[in-house]
Order: sequence, then C-alpha cells, then structure tokens
Amino acid sequence: MLMKKGVLLLGMIALLSCMHGYVWAQSRAVTGNVTDEAGNPLVASITVKDLPGVGTTSSEDGTFSLSVPAAADSLIVSAVGYTRQTLAISGTAMNIQLMPDVGFNLDEVVVIGYGTQRKGDLTAPVATVNMENAAKRTIATPMDALQGAVTGVQVVSSGAPGASPTVRVRGVGSFNNESPLYVVDGMFMDNINFLNPNDIADMSVLKDASGAAIYGVRAANGVIIVTTKKGSLNMKPRVTYNGYVGFQTPSNVLKMADGAQFAAYSLAKGDNYVVENSVAQFGGQGNSPTMNTDWYGELLRSQALITNHNVDVQGGSDKITYTFGANYLDQDGIMDAENYSRKYNIRMQTEARVAPWLKIGITAHLNNFNEFTPNNVAFRQAYFASPLYPVYDPNLELADPIKFGTSASIGIPSGFWFNNPIATAYYNHSENKGFQILPTAYVEAEFWEKKLTFRSQLSQRYQSTHAIGYTPVYYIDNNQRSDRSYLRSAQARNNNYILDNLLTYRDNAGAHHWTVLLGQSTREERWRETWVSANDVPESSEFWYVGQGAQGIGSATGYGEGGFRNAGVSFFTRGTYDYDNKYLLTATFRADGSSKYQTKWGYFPSVGLGWVLSREGFMESQSLFDLLKIRGSWGLLGNDGIQPNAGYAIINSGNNNSAIFGSIGTSYGSRIPGYRVSRFFTQVSWEVVEEWDGGIDFALLDNRLNGTVDYYYRRTKDLAFSRPIPFLWDRVYGNWGSVANSGWEIGLDWKDEVGQLGYSIGVNATTLRNKVTDLGGLDNIMNGFPEWTAEFPARIEENEPINYYYGYEVAGVYQNQAEIDADPIASRYNAVNPGAPIQPGYLKYKDQNGNGELDEEDRVNLGNYLPKLTYGLNIALNYKRFDFSVALQGVAGNKIHNLNRAMRRKYPQMNADEAFINGLWTGEGSTNTYPSAQGSVAAWNLQASSFFVESGAYLRVQNIQAGYSFNIRETIPVRVFATADRPFIFTGYNGFTPEVSGMGYDANVYPVSATYSLGLNVTF
Amino acid sequence: MNNYKYIVLSGCIATASLLSGCEKFLDKPLENQQRSEEIDYTNLSLMYAPVSGVYRAASDDNLVHWIDLSIRCVREDDYEKGAPNPNDNPELMSIKNFQRDVTIQSYWGLNQSWISYYSLAISANNALMELERFAETIPSGNTADAALNRQYQAEVRFLRAYAHLMATRLFGDVPILSDSGDIARLTTIEKSTAAEVRQFIIAEMDACIADLEDARPNESVHIGAVTRYSALLLKAKAAADLAGNDNASPYWDTVLEATDAIIASNKFSLYPDFYQLFKLPGRLSNESLFELQYSDFGLPAGDIVRPGVDWGTFFRWQGPAGDQRGSAISGAGWVPPSQNIVDFLTNRGDDTRLRTTILYCGVDGNPTTFVETPSGDRVYGNDFGTKYFNGKTYLPTSQMTEGRLEYGANNNVRILRYADVLLLNAEARVRKGQNGDEPFRLVRERANMEPITGVTLDQILDERRAEFACEWWGERFNDLVRTGRAQQVFGPDFVPGQSEYVPIPQTQIDANTNFR
Repeated sequence: MLMKKGVLLLGMIALLSCMHGYVWAQSRAVTGNVTDEAGNPLVASITVKDLPGVGTTSSEDGTFSLSVPAAADSLIVSAVGYTRQTLAISGTAMNIQLMPDVGFNLDEVVVIGYGTQRKGDLTAPVATVNMENAAKRTIATPMDALQGAVTGVQVVSSGAPGASPTVRVRGVGSFNNESPLYVVDGMFMDNINFLNPNDIADMSVLKDASGAAIYGVRAANGVIIVTTKKGSLNMKPRVTYNGYVGFQTPSNVLKMADGAQFAAYSLAKGDNYVVENSVAQFGGQGNSPTMNTDWYGELLRSQALITNHNVDVQGGSDKITYTFGANYLDQDGIMDAENYSRKYNIRMQTEARVAPWLKIGITAHLNNFNEFTPNNVAFRQAYFASPLYPVYDPNLELADPIKFGTSASIGIPSGFWFNNPIATAYYNHSENKGFQILPTAYVEAEFWEKKLTFRSQLSQRYQSTHAIGYTPVYYIDNNQRSDRSYLRSAQARNNNYILDNLLTYRDNAGAHHWTVLLGQSTREERWRETWVSANDVPESSEFWYVGQGAQGIGSATGYGEGGFRNAGVSFFTRGTYDYDNKYLLTATFRADGSSKYQTKWGYFPSVGLGWVLSREGFMESQSLFDLLKIRGSWGLLGNDGIQPNAGYAIINSGNNNSAIFGSIGTSYGSRIPGYRVSRFFTQVSWEVVEEWDGGIDFALLDNRLNGTVDYYYRRTKDLAFSRPIPFLWDRVYGNWGSVANSGWEIGLDWKDEVGQLGYSIGVNATTLRNKVTDLGGLDNIMNGFPEWTAEFPARIEENEPINYYYGYEVAGVYQNQAEIDADPIASRYNAVNPGAPIQPGYLKYKDQNGNGELDEEDRVNLGNYLPKLTYGLNIALNYKRFDFSVALQGVAGNKIHNLNRAMRRKYPQMNADEAFINGLWTGEGSTNTYPSAQGSVAAWNLQASSFFVESGAYLRVQNIQAGYSFNIRETIPVRVFATADRPFIFTGYNGFTPEVSGMGYDANVYPVSATYSLGLNVTF
Repeated sequence: MNNYKYIVLSGCIATASLLSGCEKFLDKPLENQQRSEEIDYTNLSLMYAPVSGVYRAASDDNLVHWIDLSIRCVREDDYEKGAPNPNDNPELMSIKNFQRDVTIQSYWGLNQSWISYYSLAISANNALMELERFAETIPSGNTADAALNRQYQAEVRFLRAYAHLMATRLFGDVPILSDSGDIARLTTIEKSTAAEVRQFIIAEMDACIADLEDARPNESVHIGAVTRYSALLLKAKAAADLAGNDNASPYWDTVLEATDAIIASNKFSLYPDFYQLFKLPGRLSNESLFELQYSDFGLPAGDIVRPGVDWGTFFRWQGPAGDQRGSAISGAGWVPPSQNIVDFLTNRGDDTRLRTTILYCGVDGNPTTFVETPSGDRVYGNDFGTKYFNGKTYLPTSQMTEGRLEYGANNNVRILRYADVLLLNAEARVRKGQNGDEPFRLVRERANMEPITGVTLDQILDERRAEFACEWWGERFNDLVRTGRAQQVFGPDFVPGQSEYVPIPQTQIDANTNFR
C-alpha cells in the first residue's frame, strides 16, 4: 500500500510542469486542497470549465491556487485513477475530495511474467480476466472463464463430455500445441482443468511479444498467468463458502430423421429391403414400419447433476499469511450410462515473513480425481443408427447377457459405426483415477532499501494416474461380440519441476524509473506409463488384477511401456524504464535451451514502447480523455510444443516387425526377429513467431468508458507439422513453412450509474486474417481430417489461409433431363458413363476452367475454419440488492466442413439429420441446394464440394445470471444466485454445435449441454 | 546484512554450476525410440532381421488390405459385387463398370491400394540399405556370408518387384520406386510405362535368380521364404504380360525358359487334394512358390499374426455375412463370387474346383436356412441377396485352433502356385506351336478332370480361369487384358486403351504432379 502510493506520488510530480496560466484582466484567485478518500493529499489536475488553457496542478501537499476569470463558474478536478469531479467555484478555500475510480485504476498492479507491473506502465496489451465475474458462472474449468471475456482469445468448447476446451490466442500460428502456456503460481502447465475457478485470484493473458517473450520458447501461443488466492498480513480470518447445485441438460440436440422419414428415404434410395425387414420383424404395414427408435433420446439423460462446494479460508497475522481451500466437484455425464467426473481439490498457501527483508512461502495443490469416461463412440453410432430397429430385441436368441437389438436384423450389416449405440454405452468400463500434487516453495529476500529482490522458487508437479478399462463377455451378433473378457490396466507418472532464480532491481532517480530483472530457469518433464492387459479376468471389479482367472496359455497377457523426458535451461532478462510514467520502455531477452531438438539453443528478444499522451501538457486542457496511451511492441516467441524429434532414423523392432516363418501344413509358424527402419526424418527446430503489436489504451468520459484497440501481426516461421508424402500413409514431421496472422482487437467497457441502477456493458471483438506466407518451395500441401484426406482435402498454399477446404463449387441442382443434356459437363459424363449417369436431382458443379469437363482444375478454395471475427458482449446490471448479468459470445466468417454428412460417402446406410431429409430434391423446382435421395448416395454428389461446407457463424448466450445479496448479520454477507450457462445458441449450422475444434471438420456428434443451477455465496 | 550476502553468493554459485552442466543436461536422445545407428552391423546373425521386416510388411497389410483386395477382385467376372450392399462403397461398382472419372479418382480405396504397394516397395528399399551396411562389414574372405547377404537382398528385391507388378496391373503407368532414400525423390519421381515396369521386373529377377536359394520355399532355411523358383515365375508372369496376345513375341521364349527351368528342377508338384490345398494341410505345400505366412501359435487368444486389422483381415472380409448364430464361419461378406463363375465351373463339370471355390449359404441364400460345407460347418443365408462366398478363404472350424473364433485365423494366404507355372508353360508352348499337353494334363488331373490332347489356347485360358477362380490377385482380369479378350467378356463398357487400369488417385497427383 505504501509503495503503491509512493509510485503514484512520483508519477504526479510530472504534472507540475507547463502550468503557466494566463492572467486575465479581471480575475480572481481560487485556493484549496485536494485529498483522496482517506484524506491524504493528492496531486491533481485542475482546469476551468469551458476555458481551455487555464488550469493548474495541486502540489505535493495537495494545495493549489489558481487565478480564474470572473466569468468562470466551475472547476474540473481530475487525477489519474480517480473519478473526475466538476465543482462550482466557491468564494472560500475549496476542500476537494476525489474518490477512487473502481473501474479504472492505473495503480492496479498486473501480474506479468516473473513479476508484476503497474498497469499504467505496461507496454504490452495484458488482459486480465475478471475472476469475480467468472466465478459467478457455473463453469467447470477455468478455461471456460476466458470465453467471450477477453479480446484475442478464442475458446472452442469441445462437445465431448469431460474434455478440455481448445483455447487459441490470436489465431493459429502452429499445428502443434495450439493451447497457450499456463503458468500456475510459477509452474508451467498445458491445462488448468484441475483448478477451481474460485481458487483463482488473478488471470493475466499475455498476448503480444513484449509481454510473453520472457517465456521464450513456450510463449508462441500466448501465456496465461494464473495466480491463486492468498491471504494478507494482519487480516482477520475470513471464511468464504461458494457452492452450487444444478443440472446439465443436452441442448441443441440435432434432430435426426425418425422412422417414417428414414423409411421413406430408404425406399427412395432403393433400399426397400431395410423397410421390408423392419415391417416383417418389428411390425407395420406395407412400407410403413412401426419401429421408430430415437437413438439420441435413448442415449441421453435429460438431466445430469452437477454439484460444486468450495470453502476458502484466508487470513494473516503480522508475520504469516495463509490460505486454505477445499473444493469438491461432482459432475455426471449426459450419456445415459455410467459416466461421471469427481474431483477433490485441496489448496494450501502460507507465507512467512522471517525477517523484515525475508519471506518464505509454500503453496501446494492436491487434486484427487476419479473419472468414469463414457464410450463416446456410442454418439457416432447414434448418429448412424437406423430408427427402424429396436434398442432391445427379445427375439435374438443368442444375445447375452442383455437382449440388445442389431441393425443386421433389418439388413444393415453391423460393425464399426453401425453397432447398437446403447449396447456400446452399456458394455463400457473406462475409469481413470489419480492424484496430482503441485508443491511450490520459494524464498524472497529484499536488500538495499528494497531496491533489490532475489527470489528463488522450486515448483514441482507429481501426477499419478491409474486407468482401468474392462470389457465383459457379451454377444449381440456376429460383429458385436466379446468372446473373452478383457482387462487393461495402465499406470502413469508425471514428474516435472521448474527451478527459477530471479533477481529484480527497482530504482528511480527523479522522474526516471527503472527495473531490471535477471533470471535463470531450469526445468525437466518426465512421463512414463506402464500397462498390462489380460483376457478371462472375472467380471467383478474386485478381481480386476491381471492374472486372475487366467486359464493356461489361453489367457494372453500383454504389456508395454511408454515415456518421455524433456529438459530445458533458460536465461532471461527484462529491463523497464519510464520517464515520468509518460514515456515507457520494456525490453526482454531470453535464451532457451531444450533437449527436444538438434538445435539446442534459441534466442528470443522483445522491445515494447509506450507513450502516455494523457500525461502530456497539451492534453491537460481537454476533458474528454482521462487516459490515452499509445503502445507498440516487437518480439520473437518460440513454440516448443512441437513434437520432440529424434533427428535420426528410428528402428521399429519386436513382435510387430517380425515375420512368421514355418507355417507349413498343420505346424504353427513362429517369428524370425525382424526390424523395419523409419527412414524419413528431418532435423526439426522450434517454431519462431515474430510478432508486431500496436495499440491504444484509453479512458473517456470520467473513466466511464474504457477501451483498448490493438493491431497485431504475427508471423510463424519454421512452422512445424507432419506433411503427407506421396506413396505412404506416413507423414514427415519438419519445419515446412510460415504463416501470418494479423488483425484488430477492440475492447470497450462502459460503466455508469443511473440513480440506484448501476450498469456496465463490455464489448470485445477480434478480427483475424490468416495467410500462409511460405511453403519452402512446395507447390502445396494436402491435408485434412484423418482418414478422409483423400476425399475431403484441406489444402495449404502460399498466400491463402491455411488448410482451406478444397473442392468443387456447387452451382445448383440439375432440375431436369434437358438441363443435363444442355450442360457440357453432365452430357459428356453421361456419354462416358451410361451405367451410372448424372440424373435430375444431382449436384451441378461449376466448371471453373470452362473446358466442359469436371477435372482437378475445377477445384477451388471453399473457405476456411478460422473465424474472421470473434466477439463477446457482457452486460451487467445491479439495482439495490439485485444483480443481473448476461454474457454473449460469437464468431463469424468461418466455415465448417460438415463431415458427418459427408461420411455418407463411405457409409451410405447411415441415418441423416432431419434438415437433410427435408431438404432433399424431390422433383423439378423443389430445391437448388440438396441432391435427391437417390443422388445423396451417388459418388458424384459425394465429392469434396461446397455442399458440405457451411457457415460456422454463431452467437451463443453464454451465461445468464441473477443474484440477490443480503446480510444475515452485519458481518455476514450472503449472495444467492441462479445461473443458466450456455442456454441458447443462434446458428444456421446443421450439426450439434458450430464450435468445432481442429481444422473445422465436424465429426462431432455430442450435444453441448446447458447447465442450470442455484448457488450460494457466504462470507464470514 | 551479512545474511543476504551469503544468499546472493550461493544463488550465483548455483546459477554458475548449472550453466556449466547444462550442455550435458540438454544433450539426451529421445526416449523409447531406438536409433538405427545402434544396430551392430558386424553382428551377421542379425542380417536376416531387415528381410524378416519386409516379409512382415507384406503380410501385415501391404498385399492383403481389405479394400485393395476388393478393388482388385471386383473388376473380374468371377466376382458379383464389392460390398454386400451395392450402395456401400459405390465406387467399387463404378470400378466394376470401368468408370474412371473424378469420382473414382477421389476414392479413398484407390489411394489405399497405391499406398499399400508402394509402402512395401519403400520398406524393401529401406531393408536394402540396411543389408548394404551389413555387407560393408563382411570381410572380403568371408564368401559364405557375402553370398547370404546377396541372397537376402535378392529376396527383398523379389518382394519389391512383386509390389510393382501389383501396382502396374492396377494403375498401368506407374513410377518405378527403386530408390527412396531421399524424401524429395518421392515428390519428383516420374511415371514409367506399364511395359517399362515389367521390363524392370524381368531385369530385377535376372539379377536375383543366381543369388537366391536353389530350393523350394518350404525347404528354405527360413521356411517359406522366396527362392530362385519364385523369381523365375515372377519373371515369367512379367514376360507373359509383355508378350500379350502376340504369339511371335520373343517374350514367349522368356516365359518358356523360365517355366521350363522351374519344371526341370523336379522340386515342385501339385498338391493332390485341391480342396485341402487352401486349408491347413495345404499350407506351404510343394506347390507353393510364394505364400504369406501367419500364425496364431496354437493359442486360443492373445498373440496372433494375421493378414490385416482384426475386423478386416483378408479372411474375415470375405467370410459369410448375415447372422451366423455365433459361428466362427462368418465375416463381412465382401467380394462374393458371381453366378457367372458358378455357372462356368458347373457347366464344365468342374466339381472339385466348384466345391473348393464356392461356399454356399442358406437354401438359395435364405437367412433362416443353412447349408453344410463339405467340412461340416453350417453357413446361414443372409439379407443381402448374396448366395455364395469365397470357398478358397474358408477354413473349417475343425481345423481352427481350439478356442479361436476368428474366421481364417492361422491360415496362410496363397499367392504364387506351381499350377501357374504349368499353365504358363503350356500356353508358351502352344503359342510357339509346340505341344502343351503334358503340363496341362497335370493341372487337370489334380482337379479330377479328364485329360485333353492337342490343347488349344482357348482351353488353356479357360483352365486358368477355373484353376485360379476367385484367387484375389487379378489373374483372370490380367489374362483377359493381355490376351485382348476383355471387351469380348465385359462388353462395350470396357474401352480398350483405358479400361485396363484405374486412374492414379487424385491425392497422389496433388502430391506429385508428375503422376498427372
């Protein structure tokens, strides 16, 4: 607190310059003093209303004296970080008290890499997440708190229950690890799922080079610094309880074709036997089967419980501060089978002031988790399954132990995606239990009048997991069966540490302020997994030990191990300098050594500049801006999230690479030891991102409007990814190209009060332009969704966005034979292929090169998965004891490849979504976008084309919350609240959710769930 | 004040000590990934290991992939269709109709075939590089090991040549991928003509024959490895393709010489029981010249080496579809035999081959009824209208390892047989105006067919069809193409000059525009 005030005072000294007001012919003198809410003197700027150029600044003791024209009636008094006031000039000495502006406080200290900095002195756009707001939401992971809340950050929620969302900072500059680096109290993490949002005091997002480059080789995807809550000195123990109970319900469930629609579709395709079989076996008349299984309805729970309890105790004596938190989360999955996620977290933090100059502290997180993962394959099967066969079929004599039905009964071969989804969900046991300990210990010593601080911190992470998978014996039909039980038990250990040594020097001389940070960091990451498996293990889980139930050599036992070790050493420095808090400079440099690559060392410099215009003399006379700052930065960032690379040919040996010899007559052959060499490799080095950023921070209209605008340009050089190579499925990993991301980030916040109604509106928007700038001389690289790259490719080409969908442009649908005959492409095709001609109701592709033939040259860019615009809108209201907030979030300008629909190419008997069925061409003039039913399974219409590429724009109501606050007693504030999380989405996309991770190929078949909950927050 | 000086000091010392140690700290190879440099090339007992690796590549997936198999088969009149339901992988039916437009070019199956064959070629190239490294360590006086090294190289080159034969028979003009050490080569290599690829195969075999073992494959030190005679037959097949329907072609001399050499070795004989030839007793018989070997090691579960992934092995893919009531005699039911081949065998009274080639199911395919196989297994009908399944992939439950329920598990995949040698020999003789009755008689006799004297080319080609009916390697289709009879059989859909081959996959052309 003292330091905060000191820095402020130093900053204000500057305002004393340039204060030579004109002396008017008829003038009078006004005197007074300015203080803050506690009565401490303030250095403030004092101007005369409606008279630009007349004004002064209060001195260090807060007093001022000003000569004003007789006509002047009011003074405007402002100080950075305080609410501006307009006061009528009175005859006597004016005692002016300024109130701090809670909305914008330049003294606010922001957590940056390896330290903190006054927000006002930042040269980097550092976004802080309002954890108070985030904690109000019933979010299961802290990553969700970022969604729609921060400019430049895109959060793509995975539809899969229990899976982590994808977080992207400023577009995609890498194919490897897209996710930013999370630094949790000093420990590097790839994922902060384990944290409870209530434990977090502060989340800072470092987006540009000036902020992030201090993390060197880990910084390219942005850095999110997470600081957990801490107590403070001389603080009375404070207990906070925060909890909610709610239910999740599947929302926006895609409507699939029902029995009647599927039957009609089958008949139109010529698959009459499906309908006839269903009628014969499960009832109905003629072509109208009675069977109508709603597979998603069967597979989903309408309500899945979610419960969260969080208790937090903070406090401190004159020497020791402490925090203790406990948290319990119990979340059921939305699949109607056993699946849940239970987490118990304990957090402890203590800091002791051993001597006035010495602090030591420990922080420890303890997580216990127990997850029962559903078999998500069932969702894909539900998407594919025909509604014309039942979930249970008592007539299947051999089905055991449960009489599940099979699509083979209606003539659709089971197997793969055509298995009974409910059976798949039922015969599943996939459990992952484990614990994680994150102990951190540090020593911090201050010397030389606190100008020099040395801090040494050891952060560790130990994680141990045990995954158990068990498949019981069961039989449904030829393909869906498990003849012997199977147990797989895998234990894994993570063991990471980071040792940081930091020396910070902070000093000033007059209006010059500077800090220097010198740092060194050593880190190591180890992972090792050991697994065993066996057949014939008894069904009761108490006996799930490999070896139980083994019957001679018949019960095979398998085993294996995997693991990695990476090590890194870094040296880094940061210097900041400012003159008068007006001209700002930040420079960082980091040298990073990594064991992952052949190039061991990388060097990452950055420079940031800032100019606080609002502190300049010429700005003093204006009353519009309370703050105006211009920033600019440049730097290099590294990404070592890329795969560790051997850089040498690898031998694959052992049983899987040895051929059988001697299988002669009835003799059993045996292996002769063999090996294969993976010959294709490259020497890989890390990706380097070069980033430019220019921005403006401003506060307007008495700090009621705050905003920041940034332009960024990021170029990833040595982009590392696996490139497909001709002749092989194998891909070769290497540094193959470079890609640029650029755009604008705009964030605006308006906050005001009208009587007792307080309100705030926050808007943020980020634009993104992605372009491949170099491909190392290659013409193009064909990419795509695994297993579908040949049919539905994505292409990488210079000067185009990365991985655009590549295919034919649909010009319409052939409405009649005359149109076909008149069309060169179709008539020519039909002449060559009389056996499978193009018919009315087939898609008409645009002949881009006009040669009258559909060929490879007719393929074009059909769009790209990266949104051109990402935006968020937050509205908060409070009236007396009530509060209400709404958060919206959306994207625009991106495309989604509806792979679910396109899968018909390999799986023509799959079911279809209702919109697809209703959209089908049924005769001349019926539609110009969808093919006919018969055409929907013809290869001609199942080419990569714009038919499968849809707009990915959406607007989601992320959260609605209403709260009511009251006090049980004076000292016990209580807030009760009701929340709807993700209740609505507005989109035209024909799938479960337009939030598609990866390259935008939508193979997602899980509904996103909305959560409705009631919560309670008590502090005493 | 003194306290913290010590702290600073110790901090600096710690930093400095880390600095000095960090190069070593960082210099660690990747874990769990063995470096090829760690192979001890002077240890010649390891010398067969890269060769075993290539055989494994061939038997895993590269020659027996389920979709590659389906593409090869579906073009023939021996097969009815691709998938049980014609809407499934409709491209297979388009290929059957000799379509070759963009819808076929983007078909994933063709890409799989291409990758299967060339993955094998690249595996072979990599193994040859390994064998060269072993060769470099063999002392000049050690002629025995030097000869073994050459033999092993020759085995690998045989497998590479066979992969090329498969590739050119399906795609026509294809690249000859005999060096692939450099990735850049893959994106720049050009196509060779179908004839050049076959000439390459002949030249390769000529270079290899002398180095290979003079033995039957089942007599090889590595039982079932390819030998000199396998190479001779492969050479004869490439030569027959080149000779085409031209009786005056000098390549018929090549065919005759090569097949004569095999016959004259007196090492080979036809397995007497044609039905059992394709079952366990017939594995690696004296008739076998090239066979992919598998094993379940006599174990009812667990370790097994099988042709392809478990749900799509070579055998299961062709096994009887429909509800087989829990029987092991079941599968996905793809590429079922056609009525055409059933009629063909029936009409010529070829009972043994009919019984061996065709597996009946249900009474006229009725799903509620079953038919008993000659080995006593029940095969029920199905809803797909499929009446026959491939009998040559059928392994009776009585021959299966106790406890196994996987169709065809533990059986081998037959590729080259002595019957082919005899029939090619007969054909070369007849084409050259000689008498081909003797080799021809042997083949017919084994199938319990009456001998024919003064055998004609037509009779030989018919016999080839009957003998190799539904045998997966595209022999029937290739015979029709090389003898110019394809249009006669397939009708006007077959356009000579283009329908012989399927187009090179678009995705491969995109990766190397020289394939355009």
